[in-house]
Amino acid sequence: MTTPPAADRTRWLPEPEALHLLADYNLPVIAHRLAATPEEAAQAARNLGCPVVLKVVSPEIPHKSDVGGVRLNVATPEEAAAAFTTILDRLTPHPSRLTIQGILVAKMAAPGTEVIVGMVRDPQFGPAVMVGLGGIFVELYKDVAFRLPPLSPGEARAMLGELKAAPLLTGYRGQPPRDLDALAACACAVARIAAEHPGIQEIDLNPIIAHEQGCMIVDAKILVHE
Amino acid sequence: MLHRAGVVLAADHPLRIMSHPLDSIFCPRSVAVIGASNAPEKYGYIILKNLLEAGFAGSVYPVNPKATEILGRPCTRSIADLPPGVDLAVIIIPARAVPQAVADCGQRGIKAAIIISGGFAESGEAGAALQREVVEAARRSGVRVVGPNCQGVNNPHHGLCASWPLLTEQGEIAVISQSGTVGAALMDWASQERLGCSAFVSLGNRCDVDETDLIDYLAQDANTRAIAAYLEGVKDLARFREVVSRCGKPIVILKSGRTVEGRRAAESHTRSLAGRDELYTALFRQLRIHRVDSLEDLYDAAKALAYLPKPGGRRILTITSSGGSGILATDWAEWSGLQVAALPGPVAETLRGLLPTHCIVANPLDLTGDGTAALYRKVVEATAPHFDYQVIIFGDPILQAADVVTPGAPQLVIFLGGAEVERQERARMHQKKVPVFPTPERGVRALARLFAFNGVAA
Repeated sequence: MTTPPAADRTRWLPEPEALHLLADYNLPVIAHRLAATPEEAAQAARNLGCPVVLKVVSPEIPHKSDVGGVRLNVATPEEAAAAFTTILDRLTPHPSRLTIQGILVAKMAAPGTEVIVGMVRDPQFGPAVMVGLGGIFVELYKDVAFRLPPLSPGEARAMLGELKAAPLLTGYRGQPPRDLDALAACACAVARIAAEHPGIQEIDLNPIIAHEQGCMIVDAKILVHE
Repeated sequence: MLHRAGVVLAADHPLRIMSHPLDSIFCPRSVAVIGASNAPEKYGYIILKNLLEAGFAGSVYPVNPKATEILGRPCTRSIADLPPGVDLAVIIIPARAVPQAVADCGQRGIKAAIIISGGFAESGEAGAALQREVVEAARRSGVRVVGPNCQGVNNPHHGLCASWPLLTEQGEIAVISQSGTVGAALMDWASQERLGCSAFVSLGNRCDVDETDLIDYLAQDANTRAIAAYLEGVKDLARFREVVSRCGKPIVILKSGRTVEGRRAAESHTRSLAGRDELYTALFRQLRIHRVDSLEDLYDAAKALAYLPKPGGRRILTITSSGGSGILATDWAEWSGLQVAALPGPVAETLRGLLPTHCIVANPLDLTGDGTAALYRKVVEATAPHFDYQVIIFGDPILQAADVVTPGAPQLVIFLGGAEVERQERARMHQKKVPVFPTPERGVRALARLFAFNGVAA
């Protein structure tokens, strides 16, 4: 039996790298640019089209919003430049201890239902894939389902169907049904990533915004063991 | 089935169609008790006595260098002195002498050993070292080992009670348990109800034979229709997945340790939600293993899965003599996803012509206080074609109730409030292989197991 890797031998992939890896698996990731200056942030916002979201990129800050490292709904390139400065200013109380690789400017996804797809590698069970209703309340409601790969699209659909909140995805009280096949494809891709990258210990795609057609990964955390 | 016909064939008899590496544990020709004792409070006495009294057809040899005779059987001085034909040894001697005894068994051609003795991995590092010696001796000499630190093996279909308490009722539920007592309790209930078991194995420290080996054996065991297991964890997950996925028989597992062990504060949501227990839940669901949370549910689910036929659909009709029991059954049916469908009009009309006017012709169909076996039979026959399952509740001392039910028919039987008549009729039904449940809740919950995994039984 293997033991879990020591904490100091794991690191969070910078979000641009995480998104890049997901895109390699044909997963729908939100359009984004990495900005090093306020001017670059404004230019990225102009290129992507507003509204955008700005997020600090630092391996030391996996929960970015807890420390004011995220600005949502930035409406203009000028606001993007200002938000860039604001985020860095907020983090300055401890800049010496932080490696800040830049600010990610990403397009805001169209509204939809927030879903989480995740993976955790257990020393005994190996990789396990999770789906659940996403967002910040996922740990509160614990409305999730697990499977041990390999994972077929049918099994992935069944996982979504096991959620107590499944009706929110299939069309609850006049809401449009969400694209379950697209979500299932995300879960299957995560299972494949786990199989093909033994060094990846944990994945959180949270949230994935589920739409009537397709879905969009707007935040990705990947923990790798060096 | 060969054993039921009263013919006991040895594991290596040419007429045995199938052979399995664990045959020597379940169907040995002869058995030796290493460490047999004259002291009635010792397991060396209790197990020898149970072996002699359970109806085992082969020879039973007590081995003890200091005694000449135990329970009327002449003692053999050592393992080396045993006559040929001994397939199985039950070892009840101090832990330090066990590795040598296992090696001696191999030397003598004994194929399997059940080690009852404790003092191994469960008792610290010195014990763990001794256990490694046992494993080493077993591998070198080709002896398969159950235990150590276990409560033995019982195969009522072979008259083999190498365990305690003495239980001999033959049935179709196999019990595997990491706790001797928990497994014995299950077998005790099944025996007391005259339903019986097909096998009982206490795993102990499972230094060699584990739950996966046993599932592999029980999958091909003609007497076993359902497997009930109490486990604290699965020893070899990869092999477990492979063996269970081709088992073909329903498996029910009570896995203890549903606590937050294994869960830790983490930075990813997935990690914080992925406790060991959630992963076991996922594994069992994928393998179509029924997971239960109590010993009572383990028994009820195994009973239903072993003895009730697969349902064609979810439409049920409750037939009762007790209004309250009928309502309770209806509540549980609805909570469990079963359909309490209305009686078709023409059927209701026919029934009104057959039944006394005070009977309530609906679903539940209430025969009220004077329901008799004859009335039950009329209703059961008239309604059977119109429902997928009948839930038949005998809520009074209904004489000849056992004559109402048919083995193998889609009928769930619940009997309560019937005192001595109930006990007699339940035993009669169990001898007909019709399982009887003691309350509407336990019966309907057990029935609902048949519909798990979209009704596709394993």
